[in-house]
Amino acid sequence: MNELDCTACQTLVHGYLDKELDTAMTAKVAAHLAECAECARLLDEARLLTVSVKRHAPYYTAPASLTASVFAPVAPRNSALKRWRKWFAPGFSAAALALAMVLYVATPGSEQPLMDEAVSSHVRSLMGEHLNDVVSSDRHTVKPWFTGKLDFSPPVFDYSAQGFPLLGGRLDYLQHQATAALAYGRAKHIINVFVLPTTEADEPPKTRSIRGFNVVSWQANHMRFVLVSDVEKAELETLGQLLRNGA
Amino acid sequence: MKRFEELFAPHMDAAYNLARWLTGNDSAARDVVQESALRAFRFLHRFADGNAKAWFLTIVRNESYTWLKASASYHWVAIGDELPEDDAALSHGQSPELLAIHTENAALIQQALRALPPMFREVIVLKELEEMPYKDIALVADIPIGTVMSRLARARAMLKLELLKLHDHE
Repeated sequence: MNELDCTACQTLVHGYLDKELDTAMTAKVAAHLAECAECARLLDEARLLTVSVKRHAPYYTAPASLTASVFAPVAPRNSALKRWRKWFAPGFSAAALALAMVLYVATPGSEQPLMDEAVSSHVRSLMGEHLNDVVSSDRHTVKPWFTGKLDFSPPVFDYSAQGFPLLGGRLDYLQHQATAALAYGRAKHIINVFVLPTTEADEPPKTRSIRGFNVVSWQANHMRFVLVSDVEKAELETLGQLLRNGA
Repeated sequence: MKRFEELFAPHMDAAYNLARWLTGNDSAARDVVQESALRAFRFLHRFADGNAKAWFLTIVRNESYTWLKASASYHWVAIGDELPEDDAALSHGQSPELLAIHTENAALIQQALRALPPMFREVIVLKELEEMPYKDIALVADIPIGTVMSRLARARAMLKLELLKLHDHE
């Protein structure tokens, strides 16, 4: 039986440590280690190193929102309109109620500050850990979460199929009003969709750029929608179109 | 869909962990895992039976490399598997080295591991963090099973060197 030399053993100690050698080779390495202090030390070092890594190297577990979006059920497209109606109908009554309640708050012509506030809120949401209060790609989780927290009912849909997965929602506060903030993903980017009640008449979508962010806003059904993100203008407009269409 | 979820939901952490270590950032890792899941779903019919984890991680690994190649900050470094005999990393250690590699400092370990080229980083992640056997590492890293041990030997030696470097800086 030929003896192992140190060069071969320097590699083999790793297989020995990981218990990946066959019986014959394990015996050979063990015999060499018994005689060679240097290779034995190499084994000790490797063992310490693996223990350190196992104990202290971070293990990154998958974020819940990622798992949720990967295994999100694929929504049937044909029932989209029905679902839209079903979810939106309460929105009308809530919005009407909100209209009566917040008449005195809404001051027309103060659009620019709102957009500015929205951009600031978008930036803030990305800086900390506070992007979402409710992390889910399931609108049946996100939507009910808002109930009782808002005096209107924002439309919540997941657009994973179109490349805008719903990541979750949170409460925000814009223009002195409780605001629904929905977070959507677009590739590596985050899009914040702010929805707040308004008494003003419907307005068609408008795109602008504020401090380097693209902002798309419109008013419909006494709700004001403000989309903020660093994604391309056209992509933001696409999401706007999807939101206006419902699902 | 159900089979897909049953097969791969248990391995989402492993998938994200590998992608996170290889790409080095959260949003890229999310993208990589999303894309990998899409591929796994599309090619599910090709997965007969066997090791779902290794199969999924193989896709994740490939997607991670695609991302790495595309990202401008990354420079591809080819390093052979041969063990140079006069490599300082493999020379036999003195006691201060033991001190450095037995560190309790998580940040140091993370930094040292991140400094390794991806092909070495991945075998450490798969072996120490996923505790995968060599035969599965061979599948995921797409190398012959005989190469796994030498790659790990080299990776551990490089990691030791990085830790020593960081230790000296402290």
